[in-house]
Amino acid sequence: MSRLHALTMSRRAFLAAAGAGIAAVQLPGSASAQADAGVLRYALSAFPPSLSPWLNAGAAASTVKTLIMRGLLGYDTEGQLIGEIAESWAAVDPTTYDFKLRANAVFSNGKPVRAQDVIWTVNQISAPESTAHLRTTLNQVESMEALDDHTVRLILTKPNAALPFALASPNAAILAEGSTEDAPIACGPFRLAQQERGVFIEVERNPDYYKNGSPQVDKIRLTAYADENLRMAALESGDVDIIEYVPWSAYSRFDNNDRMKLSGSLGPFHVVLFNTSKPPFDNPLVRQAIGYAINREDIVAAAFAGQGEPLYGFPNPPGSAYQASTPENSYTYDPERAKALLAEAGYADGFNCTLLATSTYGMLQDTAVVVAAYLQAIGINAELKLPEWASRITAGNEGQYDIAIHGTVGEYNDPDSLYPLLHSSVKTFQNSFGFASERIDTLLEKGRGELDPAKREEIYKQLAQAYFEEVPQAPLVWRVQSFGLARNVEGFQCLPGFLGVTSTAILLDQARFV
Amino acid sequence: MLHSAISRLASALSMLFVVATLVFAIQVVIPGDPAELLLSSAGSTPTPENIAALRVEMGLDRPLLQQYVEFLWGAVRLDFGNSLIDNSSIGQTIATRLPRTLELIAVAMSIAVAVAVPFGTHAALRAGGRLDTAGSGVSALFAAVPVFVIGTLLILLFAQTLKLTPAGGYADFGSAPIQHLSNLVLPAITVAMSIFPIIFRMTRSSVLDSLSNEWVRTALAKGLPRRAVVRRHVLRNALGPVVTVIGLQLGILLGSTVLVEFVFNWPGLSGYLVTAVEQRDYPTVRAIILVVAAIFIFINLLIELLQMKLDPRVQL
Repeated sequence: MSRLHALTMSRRAFLAAAGAGIAAVQLPGSASAQADAGVLRYALSAFPPSLSPWLNAGAAASTVKTLIMRGLLGYDTEGQLIGEIAESWAAVDPTTYDFKLRANAVFSNGKPVRAQDVIWTVNQISAPESTAHLRTTLNQVESMEALDDHTVRLILTKPNAALPFALASPNAAILAEGSTEDAPIACGPFRLAQQERGVFIEVERNPDYYKNGSPQVDKIRLTAYADENLRMAALESGDVDIIEYVPWSAYSRFDNNDRMKLSGSLGPFHVVLFNTSKPPFDNPLVRQAIGYAINREDIVAAAFAGQGEPLYGFPNPPGSAYQASTPENSYTYDPERAKALLAEAGYADGFNCTLLATSTYGMLQDTAVVVAAYLQAIGINAELKLPEWASRITAGNEGQYDIAIHGTVGEYNDPDSLYPLLHSSVKTFQNSFGFASERIDTLLEKGRGELDPAKREEIYKQLAQAYFEEVPQAPLVWRVQSFGLARNVEGFQCLPGFLGVTSTAILLDQARFV
Repeated sequence: MLHSAISRLASALSMLFVVATLVFAIQVVIPGDPAELLLSSAGSTPTPENIAALRVEMGLDRPLLQQYVEFLWGAVRLDFGNSLIDNSSIGQTIATRLPRTLELIAVAMSIAVAVAVPFGTHAALRAGGRLDTAGSGVSALFAAVPVFVIGTLLILLFAQTLKLTPAGGYADFGSAPIQHLSNLVLPAITVAMSIFPIIFRMTRSSVLDSLSNEWVRTALAKGLPRRAVVRRHVLRNALGPVVTVIGLQLGILLGSTVLVEFVFNWPGLSGYLVTAVEQRDYPTVRAIILVVAAIFIFINLLIELLQMKLDPRVQL
């Protein structure tokens, strides 16, 4: 009896000890799950390669730059242009813009933001040796003038409908005169507190920020989680509050989940690029055939777990103010027509070609596999080339491909954001190699130079038709790009269209816990 | 002795020179360009002038020979220069990150040895028994499943389902020791599981080998307890090859914790190397490879010199 008693006691003691052990192990985990209410933890998809203010170093860099630096203009939650450092702006005539700066905007060195700082910034960006992303755009500023300390006038060489969008870009931060690129003096809602390269960046609230009541949190800690599955796991286990680039296969885990929510929009899109400098893709009939040959629903299903939509024509951004595409200029799936077009071009028996994508991004590889299968069906044998990303860029820039699968995004929700992707003066891995069309160039230039909305819509309708006929790229799909949020995060949501990727971080100063 | 030590040192240095030259050649051989790459994120269309200006800023426009000589001279002075991408000091980054990889390897190795050596010994003592079969099964399983699968499963179980540990990441030991350890547990176990089979099998076969010696039978025949024979004689003799394998694994792990560091977001050196390669950050890539190669060569040199010292029969 007593022996039995001892046994049960010891088992109980063992259980207690085991329980204490588990509790001890659990402590750090739960400690990380219930973080300081003033610190927002954000999972980046990559560590920003560079925080150089005017250099375009990708989405992660844009996010961090937007936290610590601001430009003249920005966006509201609907993706509409609003003033940032400029409290208001007006086009005096088609080439003259006046910007009225906020009186309470001060730099981190305590000095107010003056018209002179804006002029200095624009001069730095457009300087001949500058590596700034907006150098070409701001080269069109003919002259600048400080009307008073807080009003600056920009005079352009010719009308440019894209100017306000450029000034709202994450690469257009206004810095204090005399700043260096390594130590920028800016006036964003946060200030850089500490960082370890490749690991994390911590920013803290700027008490002198010009917008009342923001930012709402004291600190944001941005940690790089390169592996998308780990990023998702970090949100699920409560290690972080916001993640970007939610993997498509994980979307269903947000259904009926009371601890996290999803905010996304259609924005980035995928296309087929052509090497038009040599046969057979120098022939528009062949490019049209590719447009008809592919069943786009399969790409949405295979590469994006259903989280996307087919793109049948001109990629006019969601959220654009203009209607450009019509059912008549759409590439619906029609293999018979594709074969007929190939026959008309003199390739009735098909041909062999190389299909360039990359193994670095699974979504591009998956898209390429589906496209290759559909090309096979109309007699085109596409040999897949899947180098890693850096080699892919070089191959694209040097035209070492016949066709390529590419995913891209414009910088703002206006059809003009497609200018760099379609105009023959721009020659990068994002453009079809060797493609040049006077018709498309002229329409892009007309659209950029026209400020009247009704006339612009007409121009972009013509552009959509030209895109359909000349096929500078074969449209494939829109993809959904989403942020995952802990349920208690409010005030932050994905901006519509192209802005979702490039500019959503501008809302982080409104993010708060409830 | 001194003479051969000096000649070993000279050959180690010449090996390092060869490695240095090879890693420099990467820049010439591998396609991709850091300036082009940095400016070519999705949606951006850098002008050729933009790229050219950045190349000048990075110093990539200088003649290759000049870059090579500067790199060698820098390496001799242990000055690896700055990263092409963000201008940070490479030496400093390595000094921050190398200890983390070493910590991960050390903890993982301790766990693996603590489990695999006793397990392997017992398996050998009862060869063909239940424990032996179980051990062989487990080690076959661990050897067959890739580390990133093991890692992902551990995250799913301990972080997402049981919520016992964070899913990944890193905290400084100085400021958050408990957090640091809870971040270390899963990656260390994952690495340990991947080296367990090697140590287990080596221990088992080595102990079996020793057991078949005639002096074991003699020792038992003269009445020594079996336990004492195993501990004092069999195990001591059997551990030689095991230690060699452990040493080899330590070197290999330096370069192969990449996947585990990636899966758990452990900011060590090998994960950093991958990022540097992806960004074509040539000076960083060169510096890391050179440092790892130097450690490897140095450990080998040390072992050889030690063997010479311990066993006069060893002539190098």
